[in-house]
Amino acid sequence: MRRHILPGFGITLGFALFYLSLLVLLPLSALCAKSFGGSLEHFWNAVTDERVVASYKLSFGASFVAALINGMFGLLTAWVLSRYRFPGRRIIDALVDLPFALPTAVAGIALTALYAPNGLIGEFLGKFGVQAAFTPLGVLIALVFIGFPFVVRTLQPVIASLSADVEEAAACLGSTRWQTFRRVIFPAVLPALLTGIMLAFGRAVGEYGSIVFISGNLPFKTEITPLLIVAKLEQYDYHGAAAIGFVMVLASLAILLLVNALQWWSARRTGHAHS
Amino acid sequence: MVERAPHGTRAQLIMAGATQTLTLPRFAATRPATEESRAVQWLLIAIVLLFFAAFLLLPLAMVFVEAFRKGMRVYFETLRDPDTVAAIWLTLKTAAIAVPLNTTFGLAAAWAIARFQFPGKRLLTNLIDLPLWISPVIGGLIYVLLFGSQGWFGDWLIGHDIKIIFAQPGIVLATIFVTFPFVARGLIPLMQSQGQLEEEAALTLGASGWQVFRRVTLPKIKWGLIYGVILCNARAMGEFGAVSVVSGHVRGRTNTMPLHIEILYNDYAISAAFAVASVLSLLALMTLALKTITEWRAQRQFRRALH
Amino acid sequence: MSIEIRNLSKTFGRFPALKETSLVVHTGELVALLGPSGSGKTTLLRIIAGLEFADTGDVFFEKENVTHKSAYQRRAGFVFQQYALFEHMTVAKNIAFGLEVRPRKSRPSKNEIAARVAGLLRLVQLENFAQRFPAQLSGGQRQRVAFARALAIEPRVLLLDEPFGALDSKVRKELRRWLRQFHDKTQLTTLFVTHDQDEAFEVADRVVILNEGAIQQIGAPSAIQSEPANAFVEDFLGLPQCAGF
Repeated sequence: MRRHILPGFGITLGFALFYLSLLVLLPLSALCAKSFGGSLEHFWNAVTDERVVASYKLSFGASFVAALINGMFGLLTAWVLSRYRFPGRRIIDALVDLPFALPTAVAGIALTALYAPNGLIGEFLGKFGVQAAFTPLGVLIALVFIGFPFVVRTLQPVIASLSADVEEAAACLGSTRWQTFRRVIFPAVLPALLTGIMLAFGRAVGEYGSIVFISGNLPFKTEITPLLIVAKLEQYDYHGAAAIGFVMVLASLAILLLVNALQWWSARRTGHAHS
Repeated sequence: MVERAPHGTRAQLIMAGATQTLTLPRFAATRPATEESRAVQWLLIAIVLLFFAAFLLLPLAMVFVEAFRKGMRVYFETLRDPDTVAAIWLTLKTAAIAVPLNTTFGLAAAWAIARFQFPGKRLLTNLIDLPLWISPVIGGLIYVLLFGSQGWFGDWLIGHDIKIIFAQPGIVLATIFVTFPFVARGLIPLMQSQGQLEEEAALTLGASGWQVFRRVTLPKIKWGLIYGVILCNARAMGEFGAVSVVSGHVRGRTNTMPLHIEILYNDYAISAAFAVASVLSLLALMTLALKTITEWRAQRQFRRALH
Repeated sequence: MSIEIRNLSKTFGRFPALKETSLVVHTGELVALLGPSGSGKTTLLRIIAGLEFADTGDVFFEKENVTHKSAYQRRAGFVFQQYALFEHMTVAKNIAFGLEVRPRKSRPSKNEIAARVAGLLRLVQLENFAQRFPAQLSGGQRQRVAFARALAIEPRVLLLDEPFGALDSKVRKELRRWLRQFHDKTQLTTLFVTHDQDEAFEVADRVVILNEGAIQQIGAPSAIQSEPANAFVEDFLGLPQCAGF
């Protein structure tokens, strides 16, 4: 092994690896082992149970829709915060991170109080015959809440680094503002936008705390996958819980890989743009 | 709390503000040619404000409205209740163990990753990220599978009369898991961008490894470190899903504040639940304020690094 | 204190930075390492300082083999091209750093350190800047602080990596002259890296010309100029900026 100039490589890497193995890798391998600990058939039955499949549909479907909504409003918010001056802008900017800072249980009961049929917004929606809390729509609202910062925070630096002269050039070439946005700005921020959407999606799929209050947890209707894991544990079905957990971890890994690929693409893009 | 920070062009998970922290000034003066019309601007601003009101501001306001609905007396009685006090203590205790441990890990990992080349570095960086991607519920589940009565070490633990799951050690472990990457992911891009010239200079001047770290590196990364610790702490005190799985929900014993909120809420003690929630909301607002301040300071450290 | 290197080789990945290089710098000499970028001159200097380790070969300070000593044990004063000042410390603190990190028994007293710092500030003509931070100084001033900081530890040898590389040409010329005078006064063995021929030939006692990790010629400035050892040196010296010589 090559000698290092700065000291401390062995001890810091050693400690980091030890800590990582003890607290993350060992427990995760317990999950893998346990999920296949019964028979393969048991595993298969656990992860393809009708109720579980219904929960996948809700968890992944609602997360996907929420991520798209966040993509739209996130892009708009990032644009407005980066480009416009208006009173309260700085406070709004700081509050973007509220969903990160607010404990999920607090968010859960607050959103429920707001969107329940007798809540401030719930009552308003009720007039149009829409019920939010205790329906899949409630799940969606919670997921939009917790995923919101990802898109904004991914896009802000990218929008900030767009150089004004490209936009000016477009304007000089006779492009309208909307054309400039659609053909010049949007393609430039697209990789970051997709990354932000994937981050929001990844977070939403595993979300638990903010959803369990607002969803009502009805089997086949508003039951998310993480909740099913908790339910299996409460019935002491450890193999079943581990099996579903294993599927979720696989999904997380897939999303992680996808984000890595997106960032690689994004880096290449911006690299070209600057050279 | 999963947030992201850029390192060069590769954006990375964690540290919401970091993206913004660690970049150039946000806004060049608007020029007429590159500006939307006034009307369009105000329309877009209005949409954003409406979205903010419905999804962020109203829920936050709701917490305080509901907390005080039954008056100050009920509010403070709830907070003085022994079960609440016990939950607050357990939350503080948990954070007091988890945050320093993860901070130590974060410093060690950042030093190894940002200062040395070694095979498997990318993999290690991704593995450190992993807990951010995994559902918090699974963060609790895996410790149940290790230390629960049916778990790998279950029999041994029962034999030695050690209780981890449905007890406080389990809560601490689950909290460590979900807050695992926060400090490390904030420090790695910062230290990579700063380079190691100053550390090398200190070495040629005769400083030992520890002195280099204490006197040169630590002051350089101070604000980035504080930033990571604040985020780590906020998540540690607010974690719900992971601790819910391992806690066992014994009032006064294994209830943290978020779990206590759930119990009160399910008992229809709505005002009491919101009273406890209001304390956590204040913590969140303080976190945001501190975060904004440290971001500003870290930004200066980062910019200096780019010189 | 003399510096001797024997058969140093170093590769970065597949790229050979140094090939079997040997060199002696005598006590009290001022030697310039001259070569185009990528010739291995900075690598050589960093290996001597202990900031890089060679794959094979040895480094001696006088009779002592320091090959396996780490940078902080070698007591070689090193001045970085980008200064590498501690941005969070004042000028005085920067200069005092090397003394303050010594183990208690060899550490000078507070007063002694203060006196030493004051003396060095005078030497580099920055008496009034003790309490400034590096960010508040000009490039030339920063470079002088970096010098003072390296000198504070009473280095056994002085190693300078493109010491004037980041400065404008007027300041460069002044500092060049200052370096020569300083060296004449202290007789500290000094090795400095440069890609600027004027600088090398004007300041150094001897010049070492490197290319692609190998030494092409060693000699006094006049000797090299009158008798280039090979086609590379001839070609390298034939560059227009040498015309004035």
